[in-house]
Amino acid sequence: MPNIFLPRALDFIKANQNADGGWGYRPGGDSLVEPTGLCLLALMAGGEKAATAKGLDFLKACLKDSGAVGINPRDPEGSWMAYAALLAFDALGATDEERRLRDWILSFEDASSRFTPADIKAIATVYRFDASIRGWPWTPNTTGWVEPTALFIIALCRAGVPATEKRIKSGVDLILDRKVPSGGWNFGNPYSKSYELEASVMSTALALAALGAAGVTESYPAVDAGIRYLTRSLTGDVSTASLAWVLLALNCFPTGAALAPKVSSRLAGLQAADGGFRRNLFETALAFLVLSDAAILVRIPGKGR
Amino acid sequence: MTKRSMTRREAVRVLGTSALSALPAVALSGGQPQLVKGPASGTLLQVALIPCPDYGSENLTAAIQAGWRSSRPPDVRGKRVVIKPNIADFSEERPIHTDPRLVESLILHLKKLQAREIILAEGPPHNRDTEWLFRKSGFEALAKRQSVPLVDLNYDDMSPVKCINPRATLLKELYLPRTILSADVVISVPKMKTHRHAGITLSMKNMFGILPGMKYGWPKNTLHWNGIPLSICEINGTLKTHFSIIDGVVGMEGYGPLLGTARKAGVLVMGDNALSVDATAARVMGIDPARVEYLAMAHRIKLGSLRREDIAVAGEKIEKARADFVLDPEYAFLRAPKG
Repeated sequence: MPNIFLPRALDFIKANQNADGGWGYRPGGDSLVEPTGLCLLALMAGGEKAATAKGLDFLKACLKDSGAVGINPRDPEGSWMAYAALLAFDALGATDEERRLRDWILSFEDASSRFTPADIKAIATVYRFDASIRGWPWTPNTTGWVEPTALFIIALCRAGVPATEKRIKSGVDLILDRKVPSGGWNFGNPYSKSYELEASVMSTALALAALGAAGVTESYPAVDAGIRYLTRSLTGDVSTASLAWVLLALNCFPTGAALAPKVSSRLAGLQAADGGFRRNLFETALAFLVLSDAAILVRIPGKGR
Repeated sequence: MTKRSMTRREAVRVLGTSALSALPAVALSGGQPQLVKGPASGTLLQVALIPCPDYGSENLTAAIQAGWRSSRPPDVRGKRVVIKPNIADFSEERPIHTDPRLVESLILHLKKLQAREIILAEGPPHNRDTEWLFRKSGFEALAKRQSVPLVDLNYDDMSPVKCINPRATLLKELYLPRTILSADVVISVPKMKTHRHAGITLSMKNMFGILPGMKYGWPKNTLHWNGIPLSICEINGTLKTHFSIIDGVVGMEGYGPLLGTARKAGVLVMGDNALSVDATAARVMGIDPARVEYLAMAHRIKLGSLRREDIAVAGEKIEKARADFVLDPEYAFLRAPKG
């Protein structure tokens, strides 16, 4: 634990649990799956397992008969936030729910099968990527993008799904295909017509963490270029959430791990007096997790949980 | 899953910012707005076209006051006002977002008019890193200076609202942020820009940004698959924008809304009917609004009017203010003839 004040993050999280057991992004906000999943992981990692029961019940209530998890219990469809529920079900030993959700995630389709060969050719011309590669979308049957694909790979690998599983392999292919030529990733368009689009720190960090979790090493040029992009970006303005995802990504690679202590200190320095980070429960839980033990969130090849 | 054939344009747009409407606009006719009613038939719409040569505070203040006087502004006294700027992304080189100096002048104006509460709110479409985006674009500092909340609508609490005509769209309802739903007055303050898939983006398109990304994805991808023109009309037909102020001091031409180049038009376009404000701004850009698919659709479903004879323009003459924005070749057909 690099910061003696970090445990106060847990107090902030506990103090802001909603009556329904879940957490919103901000104190008093409606309970949602992503902040709830991460807050549960943080409480568990901080040795506060007794405080997790009600939160776990909230997540279980979000699980539909199909195995899908939306953004909250009222959401009629599954969504990208399911990744956080899978992490929590796995960590908290909710094995039946974990299995059902994992199966649903592996069947959660993007729009790649909706494209005809002519569509794929047109997309390749304008955006210069392969739209036939299957990844994960934010919402059902829409386009697969870098960030939801990365989040699902991270969660599936953490839950023990082998990186050889075909959806994970395809997701890795999508991420590698969408890299920005000058290094890093953005939301998922490397080009628009003749313009190369800029990478962003958050997308790059998530992409790298997913690739690391799936066993893609620094010997891949895209990974090396991504780490170099992050290293350059760290000299500038980086947000709290991006810094946390960067720390997670760096921990997945030997070169990156060497940079991690500096990033840890920088992130820890953003903690507010109330124990939270930006009064955002998701960001507080994420920061707590990556500062405590990144392996809770991401499978780091060669390391245990 | 059955494969459906898409046109090249459709295939390209769902990846970035739009798909052309798969459903005819006529499918919307007869729909009754739930939260908004269009102007009564025969009403002469009022739009202010005010010269504003730069972002100096004196010029901005004078332009906002002149536009406010010569259009039909909302009564904001004692009201909760939400300002929705366009902060689609940030670039050091390109004017992507609404200039915060304009928004600051507007806030000061609203304070003078004794608005009870002023809130800045945006749900950026591509970049999920809103903390960074708000800081880089200058809106974080502005919010602090003026002591107003700055809300990331992508993660705002939300409530479902029935769409005006569920038969017209894949969406039966829209999940709208409570920050917007609880506002007494919503003011849309977009940048005057060309748009690589919608043709142009002004006040109506700006409202795309109110839909929470956590529900609709980034870049609000559910709506792109639903069709951008249809979705724009759905949003604007469901939720009223009480006033629009288009930042045309410096806009963006060419391959907008992110990759175009700066174009000075030197005007603010203001009014209470978003469609007529957009139509007027389009004319300033040298574009025939009737050729812009979503504006034509909005006109057909009576969200206002884009016809010149239905709009009284106060302030500058359109012909004098006209600054033909460079159009991407794909949108050359939007150009309005001169004269």
